[in-house]
Amino acid sequence: MEALYAITTGILTASGVYLTLRGRTFPVVVGLTLLSYAVNLFLFSMGGLTTHGAALVGTNENYADPLPQALVLTAIVIGFAMTAFAIILAMRARGDLGSDSVDGSRTDREDPRENKA
Amino acid sequence: MIGIALWISFFLVAMAIVLNAYRLLVGPSLPDRIIALDTMYVNSIALIILYTIWLSTRVYFEGALLIAMLGFISTVAVCKYLLRGDIIE
Amino acid sequence: MTLPWIPLLTFLGVFVPALAIRGGRTVCALATATAPAVALGLVLFFYLGHDGDEVMRTSLQWLPAMGLELAFRLDGLSLLFLLLILGIGLLIILYTRYYLSEQDSMSRFYAFLMLFMTAMVGIVTSDNLLLLWGFWELTSISSFLLISFWSHETTARKGARMAMTVTGAGGLALLAGIMLIGKVVGTYDMGTVLESHDLITASPLYPAIIVLVLLGAFTKSAQFPFHFWLPHAMAAPTPVSAYLHSATMVKAGIFLMLRLHPALSGTELWTVIVTLTGLVTMVYGAWFAFLKTDLKGILAFSTISHLGLITSLLGLGNSQAMIAALFHIINHALFKASLFMAAGIIDHEAGTRDVRKLGGLYRLMPITTVLTCIATVSMAGLPPLNGFISKEMFFTEALASQQFGGLAWIVPLLAGLGGLLSVAYSLRLAYATFFRRPRQEPPKTPHEPPWPMRFPVELLVALCIIVGLVPTLPQSPILEDAVRATVSGEMPEFHLALWHGINPALLLSMAVIAGGIVLHLLHRHMMRFNRQFKPQDARYIFEGFVQRLVALCQRLIDRLENGSLQRYMFLLMAVSVLAMALGLADLDMLAGSLGQQALDPIVILGAALLIMGGVLTAALHRYRLISLLMLSVVGLVVALTFARFSAPDLALTQLSVEVVTMILLMLALFFLPQKTPKESSGARVVRDVLIATGFGGAVASLNFAVLTRDLNSISNFFIDQSVPGGGGHNVVNVILVDFRGFDTLGEITVLAIAGLAIFKLLNRLRLFMPATDMEGRLWSNDRHPTLLMVVSQTLLPLALLVSFFIFLRGHNQPGGGFIAGLITAVALILLYMSRGVEWAQQRLDFQFQPIAIAGVALSTFTGLCSWLFGYPFLTSTFDHFHLPLIGDIELASALIFDGGIYLAVVGATLMILANLGKLTTAHRPNKDMP
Repeated sequence: MEALYAITTGILTASGVYLTLRGRTFPVVVGLTLLSYAVNLFLFSMGGLTTHGAALVGTNENYADPLPQALVLTAIVIGFAMTAFAIILAMRARGDLGSDSVDGSRTDREDPRENKA
Repeated sequence: MIGIALWISFFLVAMAIVLNAYRLLVGPSLPDRIIALDTMYVNSIALIILYTIWLSTRVYFEGALLIAMLGFISTVAVCKYLLRGDIIE
Repeated sequence: MTLPWIPLLTFLGVFVPALAIRGGRTVCALATATAPAVALGLVLFFYLGHDGDEVMRTSLQWLPAMGLELAFRLDGLSLLFLLLILGIGLLIILYTRYYLSEQDSMSRFYAFLMLFMTAMVGIVTSDNLLLLWGFWELTSISSFLLISFWSHETTARKGARMAMTVTGAGGLALLAGIMLIGKVVGTYDMGTVLESHDLITASPLYPAIIVLVLLGAFTKSAQFPFHFWLPHAMAAPTPVSAYLHSATMVKAGIFLMLRLHPALSGTELWTVIVTLTGLVTMVYGAWFAFLKTDLKGILAFSTISHLGLITSLLGLGNSQAMIAALFHIINHALFKASLFMAAGIIDHEAGTRDVRKLGGLYRLMPITTVLTCIATVSMAGLPPLNGFISKEMFFTEALASQQFGGLAWIVPLLAGLGGLLSVAYSLRLAYATFFRRPRQEPPKTPHEPPWPMRFPVELLVALCIIVGLVPTLPQSPILEDAVRATVSGEMPEFHLALWHGINPALLLSMAVIAGGIVLHLLHRHMMRFNRQFKPQDARYIFEGFVQRLVALCQRLIDRLENGSLQRYMFLLMAVSVLAMALGLADLDMLAGSLGQQALDPIVILGAALLIMGGVLTAALHRYRLISLLMLSVVGLVVALTFARFSAPDLALTQLSVEVVTMILLMLALFFLPQKTPKESSGARVVRDVLIATGFGGAVASLNFAVLTRDLNSISNFFIDQSVPGGGGHNVVNVILVDFRGFDTLGEITVLAIAGLAIFKLLNRLRLFMPATDMEGRLWSNDRHPTLLMVVSQTLLPLALLVSFFIFLRGHNQPGGGFIAGLITAVALILLYMSRGVEWAQQRLDFQFQPIAIAGVALSTFTGLCSWLFGYPFLTSTFDHFHLPLIGDIELASALIFDGGIYLAVVGATLMILANLGKLTTAHRPNKDMP
């Protein structure tokens, strides 16, 4: 099970890294989100993989490690804040630079469907 | 007895999820994929309940409750996006 | 314990001028003078109170791990320099009062001056090499401030920058040297270092130590070839020049050589480097002093020359040479300070300090003329003044030197040449300024300055005369102590006198004086001779060098930082992969000792879904909405994974965040292109896939390696203490709100700040909005589908109930503020989605920013409350109550903390999503369509 878990984390990480290397903002933000999912899984597993061991005192004998869980819990929420910040930065960049390229250099091709708000 | 029933149910729900995944993968249209995703939420509820029965604990029930509620909202948001583009207007 | 008061007093003096300036300029000067005057008194008190050989030392621990102590010492050497620094410093303060014009900020000047004085006092009293270095750097910084005092002038800024660069670079070399000394000796304690001469000189690191320490000393003391910053530091106000050149700054380098003399000297390497550098500097400085036309320029090069003299004496290194060096330090400080101040008076009165424009001043400024001439005579080394005595001693030592074997004559030759040139430039200085017929009128008609401005010059000149005529009287005991501090072994006999009888040194002196007079008469020819050389302005060379350096760095930066995020990400990821690979390569084997758990089909299914979702999110990224749906699958299955591996809280959080993220990304996607154009080349894709695969592989290996090794967790403490200490059964929640409450407080603060930042970013944002969907269909006209409205209205109270339920039970069962907050936020967002912003805003008539901030404030306040009861920040408490009907309930203060978390999460999430949603409300493209 551990090997499968590690491989899955690795593949999620790889997908996230690939996306963060793209040239447009939206895939990069999606990649960051994916990467944070992978990182959360990775950190969570630092306490080991426990079946039927929720860290509720008095429910059973073999508790899962609660510390990585607590850390990952806040990491999830902060990850959301970071994603939100990044995507709105991307919107701002598009609004101000007229491009969704991460380098802010290339301008969008004309899109006939768009009209100025 | 409950054990056998449990395993049969696990198998069926798993098959359902596999089929959902297939529909999500293939599409062909966006509504197809959205429905597949929504059904996957429903199947996840079943999966969690089965898992809880298997462990004979109540700890994960809230997870099922939350999926039921939030999965709906998620689907609503995607649908709204398809219809109007702007989901909060 | 009173020793640290000396630097502390001058440091306190830094703040006095800013306060005292309100009382007027004279009050300001007097108040500023108080601190050094008291310090000077303290020094004298110590000196008179101690006996003979004893060295006063005080030390306080500062950073013992680094060998850094706040240690001060007062020995003969420190005393001599302290008297110079504080005494001349006081005179400078008085002089400045009359020198600075009304427009100059006197308080700023005095503050800088006191800072500089503190640094110098610190250097000479430090009893720890690292501490000494700290003060050393402080002199570089404070002299930068002083030199650039008239910062509106380019020359001042450039001169200050040059001084800072040169002395700062030297300071770094010195630090390296000091650290090597510390490595050899094992401590930075001055006393120990000074006794470790044999240890240091025997060390293979000795040559490196010598070179590095001397680099520091030579740059500070303006020794050739690092002298060039000193003439450009002339752009400073004259009192600064007077102070920097006479008692401080350049003397810091000399002091360092003196201080470390017992530890480092006595080897051939030391003698060769120091003596030769000193002699070359002496001749070089004297020659250029002779050719300069700027009064301060002459004095600046003369300083370089005299510092060379002292340095060469230190190089010779026998005890008589040390006495001569110390004596000359005093003499040089006296006459150079007075000369600089006199130059300042002339500049002040005549409006110029170009000797070509001056002349005949003796009629207009007779007293200044007399004073300057006396000081000049001392500088030239003519009898019967103090300069003559120390120069005689120098000549004696030069003639007696046995260095360089067959080339031993080189030392007296260079010494004589330097002496000859200094006679010449001194004569020229006095003659051209005061006695020559003026060739042109100076800009202002000069007259005598106010008496207090002249007073410091008078005092110093009087000292020059006294020291010259009665050399044994005033400073012999001080000099004796100073010699004792620098010369190891027996105290040498010495006798200071004007007349030693006819000896080789006197003959050399006479020859030098005669030669100097001749050279002065030939001045015009010498100038013509010099004109055939291309003038080398050190400033241009230096600036050119700096510019080339900057250009080089710029090219380097352009290479690395070209503004492309893709490039940065690539570099970052590539370096990370490399680092991880290196770390992993160190492992003996990937798998650890723990066995693996058995797989079950459901886990395999989950892993397959995750892999599918992840890979498809990446593969389909050009079709953004589909990619988003795949991301949603990943989010869902991650939540299921958390549930599967016994983390119900995480599962709940992940589920709520996943929904919120989806809504967020869809809100944003509306304003962004729906598809990504195909623009990555094949090679780029291959490169990125390789990097990503490498990264994923490394993470997977790392994860596997950790999972199969023994776990040594600190969590048992939390599990054991959760109920008795935190009053909760859900350990994760107790960790969040109690054990690690401070972390959580930080997290929600970050969340609130991110929300505020987003709020600002969205301000006045105008964006393109597509009028049709991806496939070109017009949007549906049904803005608020009835079905959705009805369902969401039913759902809202239920969702709020669930959220409340989850919040309350959080301490004992899965749940808590984070999850409850997210559920509430999602429920409210559903309202926005189904009924629109206007409708929702009418009914939810409040701002979200205050909620988020109130949440953070509430949590902080809860934490602070524990202070009231005398417990550390964020200590929680709990108790059980019995309510009728409901039964036994437990109330913990952590619940209030959790309430803060709840509010912060609700506020921040809504601040982000609702504000993003409002962006479009005013400008729907097809709002008015039928």
